[in-house]
Parts: sequence; C-alpha cells; structure tokens
Amino acid sequence: MKRLLAGLSVLFVLFLTACSSTDSASGTTEDGKTEIIFWHAMGGELEASVNAIVDEYNSSQDKYTVKPVYQGSYEESLTKLNTVAGTADAPAVTQIFEAGTKQMIDSGNIQPVQKFIDEENYDTSQWEENISSYYQVDGEQYSMPFNSSTPVLAYNKDAFEEAGLDPEQAPRTYSELKEAAEKLTIKEGDKTSQYGLSILNYGWFFEELLATQGGMFVDNENGREGEATKASFNDEKGQKVFELISDMYEEGTFYNSGQNWDDMRASFQTGTMAMMLDSSAGIKGLVDNADFEVGVAYLPHPDDVDPQGVIIGGASLWMAKDIEENQQQAAWDFMKYLSTAEVQAKWHVESGYFAINPAAYEEDIVKQEWEKYPQLKVTVDQLHDTVPSTATQGALISIFPEARQQIVTGMESLYQGEDPKAALDKAAAEVDTVLEKGSRSR
Amino acid sequence: MNDARDLQPVPSQKSLPKRNLFAFLEGWLYLLPSIILFGVFVFYPMFRTIYLSFFLADQMGPFEFVGLENYQYILSSDSFQSSVKATILFVLYTVPAGILLALFLALLTNEKIKGIGIFRTLFSSTMGMSVAASSVIWMFMYNPSIGVFSRIAEWLGFPAIQWLQDPDYALLAVSLSTVWMNAGFAYLIILGGLQNIDTHLYENAKVAGVSYLYQLRRITLPMLSPTLFFIVTVSFINAFQTFGQIDILTKGGPVESTNVIVYSIYKDAFINNDVGSASAQAVILFFCVLLLTALQFKLGERKVHYQ
Repeated sequence: MKRLLAGLSVLFVLFLTACSSTDSASGTTEDGKTEIIFWHAMGGELEASVNAIVDEYNSSQDKYTVKPVYQGSYEESLTKLNTVAGTADAPAVTQIFEAGTKQMIDSGNIQPVQKFIDEENYDTSQWEENISSYYQVDGEQYSMPFNSSTPVLAYNKDAFEEAGLDPEQAPRTYSELKEAAEKLTIKEGDKTSQYGLSILNYGWFFEELLATQGGMFVDNENGREGEATKASFNDEKGQKVFELISDMYEEGTFYNSGQNWDDMRASFQTGTMAMMLDSSAGIKGLVDNADFEVGVAYLPHPDDVDPQGVIIGGASLWMAKDIEENQQQAAWDFMKYLSTAEVQAKWHVESGYFAINPAAYEEDIVKQEWEKYPQLKVTVDQLHDTVPSTATQGALISIFPEARQQIVTGMESLYQGEDPKAALDKAAAEVDTVLEKGSRSR
Repeated sequence: MNDARDLQPVPSQKSLPKRNLFAFLEGWLYLLPSIILFGVFVFYPMFRTIYLSFFLADQMGPFEFVGLENYQYILSSDSFQSSVKATILFVLYTVPAGILLALFLALLTNEKIKGIGIFRTLFSSTMGMSVAASSVIWMFMYNPSIGVFSRIAEWLGFPAIQWLQDPDYALLAVSLSTVWMNAGFAYLIILGGLQNIDTHLYENAKVAGVSYLYQLRRITLPMLSPTLFFIVTVSFINAFQTFGQIDILTKGGPVESTNVIVYSIYKDAFINNDVGSASAQAVILFFCVLLLTALQFKLGERKVHYQ
C-alpha cells in the first residue's frame, strides 16, 4: 500500500511538471528550419488531403516546417484558439470559419495578412473576388481565404422523372419549388413515403436564402459600414423564407431533417425527400454515395426578385500576432503556397470546396474531374454569377454563433405551427439583446 | 439512531497540548494531497466561477464589473426558464425510472441460480460503455429513416415519429437513453447492497412463512435503505449534470426543449463566448443542487435504517 502511494505521488509530481513544461507551440527544429503549427478543422477524408498538401509543402522547400493539428469542428477549434490566443502557445496559422471573422478581428490577437501583401506587392487580383471580399474589412485583407463553399439545391433526378418533371430543369423560384415538391411528394394513406424538400435547421441556409434576395441580416449594411446594432432579417425578405418553410410543412411536402448534416444526407440518399439544400462541399460525396442520379442547381429565390447570388461559406486562415517575425514569415509563405493554382486545383478536386484561385479551374485535374462530376461546375458557376454587394458579402457580427442558434430555434418553432412572422420577430428580438450585450465587450 | 457513535469516548481537550498540536499537524499532512487536488480542481474553479458571475466576461477573462446584472438577465430570460423546466422534467423522467429499473433487475438476479453471472454481467454492462459511444448507438436507433424505432413503428402500422426532431418527444427520447446508460451503475450498487443483507433474516422469514411481498417490504427494502439513499442522491446529482448525451443527440434543440441548464452553460461559455452569464447559471445550478441534496439528507435520511 505504501509503495502504491509513493508511486502515485511520484506520478502526480511528474504530471504537474509535465503540465508546466509543455513545449512552446512553435519553434526552431534541430536542422535550423523554422517550425510553425497549423490548426485546422478538417476531419475525416479532408484531414488526409490537408496532411498531404502540408507534406508536399514541407518537402517543396527547406526553410520552414509546418505541423498540421486537427482541432475538431469549426466551433471547437475557435473555442480552443480563444484560450491560447495572444500567448506564445498560439498556433501561427489557424483555420477559422466565416462566422468567426468578426470575433477574430475584434480579438486583437491576429496579424492582418494585408501587411505582407503590401510588403511584397502580392497580387491579390488572382483570387476569386467574391471569396476574398468576405474577409476584407475597410479595404484591408485580414485573413487568407482557404476553403469556401456555397449552398446549392441538390435533387434526385430519378424521382423527378418518376414524378413527370424534367430532370434537367430544376425549380428556381419559390412557386416552381412548391409545385415540384407537391408533385414529388408521395403519400400512402396517412403516411408520406417521399417528401418534396428538406432544408437543414441551420442558420447558414437562412442567411443564404436572405442574401440571394439582397436582404440584410443586420443593420448598418450588414455591419460592414459600422457596428451592427439591430437585426434586420425579420423584414419582408426574411419572412418570405420562413413562410416558404411554414407553408410547405403545412402542406406536407417539407421534411424536417433536424440539425445534423449527416442525418439529412442519409435521408436524401434513402429517398425520404427528393430535394434538399446542401453545401457545395458535400456534393461530391453525395454523387458518390447515392444510388440514383443527383442533380445540382442554384439556390431558389422568391418569384418577384432578381437573384443576387450567394454568400460564401467555409473558412479562412488567420495569422497569430504575438509570434516571432520568422514564424510570421513562415506562415505567410505557407499561405501563399496554399493559394497557388496547383494546390487549389488539388484541393478543389479532393474536397469539393472552391478554388480561391480561379486559375485552378484551368488545371488538367480539375477539367477531368468536372467531366466526371459536372455537378461541381454548377456550384462554381453560381459563385461567379453572384452580384457583389453588402448583402452577398455577408453579415459581419461577432455574435454569429448565437444568432444562428436563434434562427434555428425560430425554424424549429415553425414545425410547431408558430406564425412565421412571430417566429422571426422573436429571433430578431433575441439577436438585438445579444448584439447590445456584445457591443459592451472589450 | 446511532448509539454506537454516541458511546465512543470523546478525547479530552485539555490533556497533552503538545501532542495534540503534533497530531493536528500530522492530520493536515495526511489531508494535504487531497486538499491540494480538491483546491486546484474543485475549490479554486468554484470560487472563480462565483467571482466571474459578477462580471461581463469572455474566455480571456473578466472585463467589466456589473454586479447582479448577469443574474437579472438570466432570471428574466425565457430561455433560462425553459432550461429550468427541461432540467426538472429530465430529472423526473430519469431518476425514479432508472432506480426502479435497476432495483427490479437487481432483485431478479439476487437469486443463486446456475448461470446468474451471465445476467449480472449483462445488466451491469452499460456501466462499461462511454456516454459518447452509447449516445451514437441511440442516435442511430432514433434516426427516422434508418433507425430501429421507426422500423418497429412501421411494422406496427404507426406513423414514424421523429424522436429527436419533435419537441414533444426529444426530451423523452434523451431520458430513455439516459435511463439505459445509468442503469448499469445503479444496478451494480443495489445488487451489492442486496448481497450484503444477512441471510439469517430471510431464513427466519421462511420459517415464519411470510409472503414474498411482505418480506420485500419488511426485510429487503429497510436493509437496503442506506444503499438506496446513496444511489438516489448520486442519481439526482448526476441527472442535474447530464451533458454528453444531450450534446450528441439533440444539441439542446428542438425549440430548446432539451436545453438543460448544464447545456445552456456550455453554450453560453464556449459557443456564445459569454462567460459571465454562464458562470451565473452555474452558480444558480450549484445552489439548487446543494439545497436539494441538503433537503434529501434532512428528510430522506430519517427513513434510512443503518444497521
């Protein structure tokens, strides 16, 4: 017993010392290379592609070494970063999702990449403008776009044919969408074996459906002309989105697929619904896994508006501020490597995310892939057709995660028979409170 | 109630002050490791939480003293009220059902029959499963398209229920999986208690020729009461602190119907970056659990029969 106790206390002391001496996150390796840490949120197959790209970078030059570390979902990695940001343990490069943009800028712990762009006269016009503008505030480029996606309408072509619809002609307006959904819905007695449409209960889809009408999520031009103070998504445009969901749900043509992406895709693949909104980054997996033909089309819009296009989703790479100069140089060099046409082409093909560098679309591997998956091209075209404006640039608020939860709660209450306007107003009121509270942050 | 304790001699305070001081210090020395551990991992975080609840704070720390504003904000918000409701319902759904189920299984397997070990292993096996793994299994079972529950409903001719997407059922669904997850632990403890009961009592009962139910009421339950009291208290505290299955199965939705207080704390602190509000909720939860446990000891322990 005494021995055991002694052993345990030795272990405890060891544990304490281990805690205090975690080696600093970045440093210099023995062979004189500068080593930096790269936090990312790409799990599963995507992690393998990220690791392959980083390996290629490490062997392509002999000055820097990049160590990729998977940090869980976007939300989780942002949370983890918040606890180390501003210390010497902060990773030199971190991948942060679009909704975390304002939080990162406000944190004061990041180095805008504009500094390096200016120093080198780096040509940013080679980037996709619609993508880089999301991460631009007051003309300053804060972060380096990396993986970008947009929402699309995915549909089951076989089901379209069975319902007597033209599988090459996907619905574009809300009334076309409702009509198609009605034809696609198959009822057996009081049971529905196939629904028309499903939209994931996820705030991002609402933001997109709003932006394509030119609608603003918050005031002050989506928070890009000044600090946002009030929610503005509960206007006529926002109501149209909620009314669409509410109407279709009441008619029995809309399927509530919850909050989980995988559940929604599983339901689509098993034929529970014939149409759904999905991220362009999920299209390739969908085409591979479905035993029917998958069609991809632009995001639908109300009948009387000109579609404005879409906001980009996805993530960008941020550089830490309080790290050594040579590490920042390493980070910048790595970022530049990632945005080359070659790497972007590979990334686009493997992940289904957009190439942030349009020159990538001229690379052979992309052309071959597009022949195999013509659906991928639709998602790229939709981005190119987007009209740049503060609506399609997306909202810039630090309380995005919470705002999204409020939208989700609003969407869910629609299935309980809540009035669309009331549900939106409630969400807007909550967001107003949080915005007010958020404005008092440091 | 505790005659044995009262009879123990009380050491006199006046005799040998020097030795007393030494014994006092020695005692502290023995306690030191656990005091350090508790201090670092329990007491410091607790006082820090109370401190933070009076500030506007994010994950970097506090930045503005606001007094009781966090508490006012929480107590007046609809969201917190629905959290309180969800928490109370969750506790009511899981604690009695879980303990009754475990008691029933333990009584069944308290017999000496050939092969009983297999059943004992089966019934306690959920103890060896992590919350995350079990939640994922239940998530598949609840899935409306491919889950076993909708298959059964289909087979019986009922419409398939979206267990986790329907606010009327989501909390029940999470509770059901929680009862299953916790049953193993409660079962093991109760079985241990049953095995500890003196067999002479049962032999006497047999001689007296009393019925099984009478025996259960007059011998088994009273003798088991310390164990039951322990498991009730621990189950209550566990139920109030449930997090894993909610995070995996519903993320607090739909329409906040499963947004129990602990999950709401997590969301505020780690997603909404509002540590002040999260701390205030944690403090409120702490005092509620403290009060409830104190009440249990005051009221419940009277009925407990210590041998």
